Amino acid sequence: MMDAFLNFIIPWTDPKLLMLVALGTFSGIYVGAIPGLSVTMAVSILISFTFSWEVYEALCLMVGIYMGGVYGGSRTAVLLNIPGAPSAIATSFDGYPLAQKGEAGEAIGLSTTMSFVGGFIGIAVLAVAAPMVSEFALRFQPRDYMLLAILGILLVGSLSGDSLVKGIFAGSLGLLIGCVGLDPLTAQERFTFGMIDLWGGISFVAAMIGMFGVAEALIQLRYVDKTAVKQKLTRIVPSLKSVRKYLPLSLQTSSIGVIIGALPGTGGDIAALMAYDHAKRVTKDPKVPFGQGAKEGLVAPETANNAAVGGAFIPMITLGIPGDAVTAIIIGALFVHGLNPGPMLMIEQPQMFWFIVGCLTLANVFMLIFGLTGVRIFTKIVEMPRTVMIPLILMLSIVGAFAVNNSITDVYWMLGFGVLGYFMKLYGYQVGPVILGVILSTLIDENWRRAIISEQESLPKLLGGILTSPLSLVLFLAVVFIFVSQTPLWARFKARRKA
Amino acid sequence: MTRKILGAAVAAVLTATPVLADFPAKDMQGIIMWGAGGGTDVIMRAVTPHAEKAMGAKVVMQNMSGGVGAISVKYTYAQKADGYTLLMGAENPQLYKVMGLGDVDYADFIPISMLARGVPVIVAQSDAPFDNFREMVDYIEANPKTVKFGSTGPGGLPSVVNAMLGSQVNLDVTTVPYNGDGPAMTALQGGAIDVFPVVIGAALDHINAGRMKAIAVVDTEANPALPGVQPIVEDYAEYATYLPWGPFFGIWVKKDTPEEAVTTLQAAYADALDAPEFQAFLDQRGFTPMNIAGDEAQEYLDRWQSVSSWLVYESGLAKHSPEKFDIPRP
Repeated sequence: MMDAFLNFIIPWTDPKLLMLVALGTFSGIYVGAIPGLSVTMAVSILISFTFSWEVYEALCLMVGIYMGGVYGGSRTAVLLNIPGAPSAIATSFDGYPLAQKGEAGEAIGLSTTMSFVGGFIGIAVLAVAAPMVSEFALRFQPRDYMLLAILGILLVGSLSGDSLVKGIFAGSLGLLIGCVGLDPLTAQERFTFGMIDLWGGISFVAAMIGMFGVAEALIQLRYVDKTAVKQKLTRIVPSLKSVRKYLPLSLQTSSIGVIIGALPGTGGDIAALMAYDHAKRVTKDPKVPFGQGAKEGLVAPETANNAAVGGAFIPMITLGIPGDAVTAIIIGALFVHGLNPGPMLMIEQPQMFWFIVGCLTLANVFMLIFGLTGVRIFTKIVEMPRTVMIPLILMLSIVGAFAVNNSITDVYWMLGFGVLGYFMKLYGYQVGPVILGVILSTLIDENWRRAIISEQESLPKLLGGILTSPLSLVLFLAVVFIFVSQTPLWARFKARRKA
Repeated sequence: MTRKILGAAVAAVLTATPVLADFPAKDMQGIIMWGAGGGTDVIMRAVTPHAEKAMGAKVVMQNMSGGVGAISVKYTYAQKADGYTLLMGAENPQLYKVMGLGDVDYADFIPISMLARGVPVIVAQSDAPFDNFREMVDYIEANPKTVKFGSTGPGGLPSVVNAMLGSQVNLDVTTVPYNGDGPAMTALQGGAIDVFPVVIGAALDHINAGRMKAIAVVDTEANPALPGVQPIVEDYAEYATYLPWGPFFGIWVKKDTPEEAVTTLQAAYADALDAPEFQAFLDQRGFTPMNIAGDEAQEYLDRWQSVSSWLVYESGLAKHSPEKFDIPRP
């Protein structure tokens, strides 16, 4: 045990490994910040690249890229309103308004520090309670995933801005877009109109880049001659006092991140959105309303998506079950290096576990260092004149959409969604619920059908199953509570109690 | 005059150098038929680095799962036949025709290398109330519809094994579909399904760790990787007519790819297969190395298609009759 634990400090003391983690984290931040370039892609390219290396060296680089990449997505979300990755969507809701107010530096500083806190909590849970958490995550049945997805759908309520009806419309549009392609369970064609290009569905990253990036650029065109906001650069590193102020919230949102991250089948994107909703629910009197630059709205998703990194490693290391797409590829890498990731890894090679925990911790520290340096230069981006900025956003969007699958079709989709997003924004529809719908569509579709098939297609039996399993019951009650708490009935009830 | 001679000389040099002599001139793209972390994915990622070394070029691999692999097949088929797009797949396309998943299958591709094949094993939850195949059949008979079998979609390995099992005994079970053997085995460990037929390599570790138990090996003899697990023919000799049957993994390029490219690729992957690390990997995961290409591979593919197509057709799973596509009876 002690011998194995000593592996924790190997990446810290070996200069070569230290450098590799630093290099990985640094490049991860930039890979993550560019929409369309994903951590998954970077790590899978690294497998061939690091093939002849020692396994420790390869792992250092991959873990660094993973940690840095998840954080990096927030950078473009705050500065340009284009989330670098789906897990940074929620960051843009309040991060971008902050940048528009001239507080980009502070927003980046806060999101970096909070990513560090979230990342650290995720790693701590991995180190202390990995076997327990993975057994818990395994216990999620199809009906539980279904309830979780319904819980996610209810987030439309907090993402829809002024009009709930418009939010529900946008969310339904997202669910519909997510249904396009071959049926995941039976391979029947759905909404494909006989076109093979539609078999794989509509790339939701392309939709995201279009609806956020291009739509934003088009909106900006309306204000081309307005001068950009001057950025205040008084404070970048948040004070200890404000970190302490957000600590209770970040502990809660990090727990959401760890658990959603540890579930095979859900990842940082859903975790960040749920955390955002949670923050909105528990923050009684935000200094600034949510959606207009509330600090809480930045803290919640950033802690959750970085906590999800540690979470995703939990089932991977203990059972060889990937918590998300990146850990699935890291499993492949371990195979290539002659290791046997699976339920025996923790028993046969406990040193590997502590080595990965050590790498993650180190990468988290580097993320904080690299994240807080150079912020001044980055905030200059927002000060650029719009005539320079708009073409830049468009170019970044096109490159990003192409990079997802090397497909020009995705670029057309992206542009189409951009125009759609522009008109939606113009008429007061939020684009957030659309992306939420696309993300959750497959999850809810597959798991509802698996759940009902498992109960021999009997609805009463499914309900019985939900009411008799403690886990399902808790999720079910959460769904009911969140639904009821958003109805006018509840508001009246609360008002009467106050009076 | 001198100019003309010069021109002729240049032309001669140009035509004398076969255009593809230096294949590969750029990086290649490898399309993996199933998702990251699954059986196909792991094999392809383990073998390809060795082939890259032999060719001196990179193969950028990408997972393109969905539609029981049909999306990756259609995609590769839509690319140029220049040898720069490799299809890294499993057995599934050989059933597309009868399953109604399209007309493109391995007949439209040239086998670069058939890397390995596997033997299916039926695994069950470790606390399932049966320990061998006969007990399982009896239990299912006594409790119709309550036992949940995992599947990976029409034409996936579990669907064929289920068809095979159902051809001899009455299996009244509920089938729950998943997106690959990884997610299905996770569901098995969490209790969402009870039984899952899967290739030995994917389940071996979980069986050894006691997280699931092996009910029977779908083969004519016991497997060295799983000593003590009875072959399915022990209780039901009738299954011998379908066996040996199992999934296989290989690499293909589109038909009409230039000879030079095919030869280079075949040689590179043949070398890669012999790499001791890869052989050890296959051995450890319970896969049988094949290392066949060209006509030999085609023969294997045809036989496999004929056995499996008729099997799924006769069990009522298929949409079309194999006769429609001139697939001969085995």
